Amino acid sequence: MADIPFYLLRAIAAIVLIAINASVAGSFTVFRDISFLVAGASHAALAGAALAIVLETYGIFSMNPIVGGILFAVFTAIAAGYASRDEGINTAIGISFALSMSLAVLFISMIREYAARVWSLLLGDLFLLTNEDIVLMFISTLVVVAVCFLFYREFLFISFDIEGAIAYGVNATLLNYVLLSLIAIAVVVTLKGVGAILVFAMFVAPAAAAVEVSKNVRQVFLLAFLIAMISGIAGLGISFFYPVSPGAIASLFASLVYFTLIVVNRRG
Amino acid sequence: MKAIEVENLCFSYNGVKALSGITFSVDEGEFIAIIGPNGSGKTTLLRVLLGILKPEVGSVRVFGIEPWKESEKVKSLIGFMPQKEHISTKPPLLVKDIVLMGRAVRKSPLSPLSKEDMRKAREALNAVGLDDKWNTKFSELSGGQQQRVLLARAIAVEPKLLLLDEPFNGVDIPSQERIIGLLDELSRKGVTAIAVVHNVSPLIHSIDKILLLNKDLIAYGSPEEVLKPENMVKAYGAVIPIIVCEEGFVHPLFGDTHG
Repeated sequence: MADIPFYLLRAIAAIVLIAINASVAGSFTVFRDISFLVAGASHAALAGAALAIVLETYGIFSMNPIVGGILFAVFTAIAAGYASRDEGINTAIGISFALSMSLAVLFISMIREYAARVWSLLLGDLFLLTNEDIVLMFISTLVVVAVCFLFYREFLFISFDIEGAIAYGVNATLLNYVLLSLIAIAVVVTLKGVGAILVFAMFVAPAAAAVEVSKNVRQVFLLAFLIAMISGIAGLGISFFYPVSPGAIASLFASLVYFTLIVVNRRG
Repeated sequence: MKAIEVENLCFSYNGVKALSGITFSVDEGEFIAIIGPNGSGKTTLLRVLLGILKPEVGSVRVFGIEPWKESEKVKSLIGFMPQKEHISTKPPLLVKDIVLMGRAVRKSPLSPLSKEDMRKAREALNAVGLDDKWNTKFSELSGGQQQRVLLARAIAVEPKLLLLDEPFNGVDIPSQERIIGLLDELSRKGVTAIAVVHNVSPLIHSIDKILLLNKDLIAYGSPEEVLKPENMVKAYGAVIPIIVCEEGFVHPLFGDTHG
């Protein structure tokens, strides 16, 4: 244990946390058929992180950029959920996406000398995580898992049949916002490790692959965790010996698993 | 006590009239079909009865309770079957997961399902003739079987009022007959059933009344009273031929309209 460098331990811890998020929140993303929210939330997180750095740079307020990212991603999820009552949720997410990217570019233009800190979120790096990052990722993951566990039945009902859920007494409007917010938080946790561009693959692909072959819902959660975990470890292992991005290898692996299972499933 | 009392109900979506001046009542144990053309307010009426939508004008009472004001109380009396098109088969749910859903969400979070819950769900699935599908994936069932599972979910909560939104869409004849037979039996046991349907013909032998809607209430009463040419023209804007079957029931021929 003493021989393992801390940055590697932090990377392994991050992969475990990312796999948990990809399993729990990723599965509900696929069940609710709102994968586009992952792209919307991750880009909103960029704007939030950029704003946090702007505030710090101008000496107004200091906070970890991940916290700014989570706040913006949650706001985007809630705004998309609210707008989707009239429009389809994908249209609402698309517009939120455009809004948050405009803000991200605006904020980045205000902090040119520190812009690299924001761009690092675009690509992510498992080896550059700090202890504070890991603590924040752990707390966020704990919140996501605890709330999903508490409202497991309701979230499944909403994913299957939102109208029926309302008719049977579920406060579907409120719980839908809660679920969208949890997905947004989980996206930011994953983004810190693999970056805003690759988060989609790492977050959606394991659950989507698991849905293809699972016989029940519990299997989806388990299989999605295993796919994300193995993808992450593969990325880490390869990048430890070769100068390649671990997030990119992990996302590539997860996406390939998805397409392989699709082909195998259709042939079977 | 009346199961449902609706007086002068009006509702509109963003200023567009959906229901206007609707007045009717339903006795406990009656089996009612709601019919009307697309966009006539059938599903809106169900949503008002469920307390999902608030009446703009007029009053609605379900077993003496105003659904909008005491939504939870009313919902605990209702079993609901949604349109199959509104459900998602993305989560690989098993039949048992779905039949138990209604009972599960009425318990406090984390409290486990009881033996009573399991027994009621089993009984409901047995009633729709799918007891052997308990552990089958819902997405692997035929359209008719899926509808029967959704009906089993509605029955499993032991409702006083069953609300069914298009229960026969994409359903084969054997499943249709099974659903109608069961609704007939439940109605004789005192359960009030209201089904929104496009084609009322398969139900004619079992229902007590028809509510013919086209934003306004066109007619309400027995099939013989409602299925008159003048009412059908008012509702559908076309002549729909009516025939009388061997047992003396009137049947509209919806596929054979004349302008």
